Amino acid sequence: MTPKSRHPLSINEESCVGCVHCLVNCPTKAIRIKNGKARLINELCIDCGECIRFCPHGAIDSQTTSFSDLSAFQYKVAIPTTVLYGQFDYNVRPNDILFALRRIGFDQVYELSSICELTNAALEEYLQDNPKPRPLIASTCPVVVRLIQRRFPSLCEHIVPIEPPREIAAKILRANLSRVLKIPPTDIGIIHITPCPAKMVSINFPASLEKSYLDGAISIRDIYKPICQVLRRNEDEAILRHLFPETLLSGIGIGTALSGGETRSLKNHRTIAVSGIQDTIRILNQAEIGLLKDLDLLECMVCPDGCVGGPLVVENRFLAKSRILGLVSALGDRTVVDNADINLLFHKDFLSFQHPVKPLEMPPLDADPGQAIQKANRRNDLNKRLPQKDCGACGAPDCRTLADDIVRGEAVLADCPFMSKEGK
Amino acid sequence: MNGDFVFRQQFEIKGGDFSRGGEVSCEVKNLLKEFGLPAASVRRAAIASYEAEMNVIMYADHGFLDFSVTPLEIRIVVEDNGPGIADIELAMNEGYSTATPEMRELGFGAGMGLSNIKKNTDRFEITSEVGKGARLSMIIRAEERRA
Repeated sequence: MTPKSRHPLSINEESCVGCVHCLVNCPTKAIRIKNGKARLINELCIDCGECIRFCPHGAIDSQTTSFSDLSAFQYKVAIPTTVLYGQFDYNVRPNDILFALRRIGFDQVYELSSICELTNAALEEYLQDNPKPRPLIASTCPVVVRLIQRRFPSLCEHIVPIEPPREIAAKILRANLSRVLKIPPTDIGIIHITPCPAKMVSINFPASLEKSYLDGAISIRDIYKPICQVLRRNEDEAILRHLFPETLLSGIGIGTALSGGETRSLKNHRTIAVSGIQDTIRILNQAEIGLLKDLDLLECMVCPDGCVGGPLVVENRFLAKSRILGLVSALGDRTVVDNADINLLFHKDFLSFQHPVKPLEMPPLDADPGQAIQKANRRNDLNKRLPQKDCGACGAPDCRTLADDIVRGEAVLADCPFMSKEGK
Repeated sequence: MNGDFVFRQQFEIKGGDFSRGGEVSCEVKNLLKEFGLPAASVRRAAIASYEAEMNVIMYADHGFLDFSVTPLEIRIVVEDNGPGIADIELAMNEGYSTATPEMRELGFGAGMGLSNIKKNTDRFEITSEVGKGARLSMIIRAEERRA
């Protein structure tokens, strides 16, 4: 398996040319250019993958599980995100895709939409049982959880403590497969197929579990081609398409990876769905000062339009969204999950977090407030001297951040090319 | 006020610009977090400055927020060139509002702003001259939540 670094994102020094695209677009200002190469500041990175989108040189690697890593397992199970159904032509049906995954080497493929319906129903129960605090914040997007831990620590207690569908599915498999198949648990690999690198960090460093139930995550980008290759052959083998007809697709669950997917079924609650990193930060700022108390649930997804806009997908998100919405309307509102199951699993805490999400507050400018104030004054003075061109040539994303780096001892004023000219 | 360490910054507030409403108080909140002041004080200051900022945006053409901080207290003064407040005592009542229907449609004007500031500050003073503007002055002590 890939080594466990703190972040699944890393900079490929050979491809990085030290331009400013990732630098200025990083929403948490977690990148600096040092010695002509981009560097990641681990404490600030929330794994959103915006840098992957903006890098024109493909120099941001995301350490997801590779296909060859799977050979470590005797029995391999894939849990694909429902976003995968939107990546192929309109006439490629979910069952074709699930079967293709079996043909490229997975022994079992776990369809996630019914679990999405289950966790959605549990979410509704949770909202009813817990009138406070408001708004509650859905926790499916791991980047949102990480953003709240670091930037909005007081909102940690607003996070709905229900595990996302991918973890629930893996938990169900983990609890039973070894016994049923009579294989040692360590020989079973349960792999998520993911639209984003952040799922990898939620597997390696879960925020609400002692240990993730998943063994890894393969990106849609990496698995797209192998699937395409067997899909094409599939056309002549109509019989095989009907080999595993038992899959119960849920119209309620299949759209949950789209922005608004979780709020759509909550008809008796006041909800809003926000997508995109900047809008997510804006709405969390409002929630933090108590402006959204009238809302029951806030659904945030940092990728535009939800997981269909993930940085590791292949198809453009508008087409993918259209195809998934096509499935949602074709499948309709028929439930595939028994209400009794929801009661049993939800009230027995099978779906719950093992522990609450803990704040990870960013350190202040200085441990002593007096010193912190002094540093802020110095920062303001420095910032006034800087040219305010926000050019990125110093290696920081903007002048204010350079001033901040200087008072933190991470940079010097001469890093600014305009200032060094002035000095000569 | 402990004069040794004072941080001061002034922010402009543009009246009528609802799309940028809340940006100044967000900046205030982020600065206070960087100073490592107690979370409860940061939150109270953020709420009070948000309400004051929105008042300027709703009623005035122009105003500013003057922010000064010591390790012991947070002072916020918000001045504007709006219509002023005729009866300050009345304006402090919960539910009293002179907001127009348009403002109410945007979700403002519930008449909770000034009382919300009072609730979240340790000292709050308003001075105003009708036709000239208003000056809101508030102090929040930077102390841990009382046990």
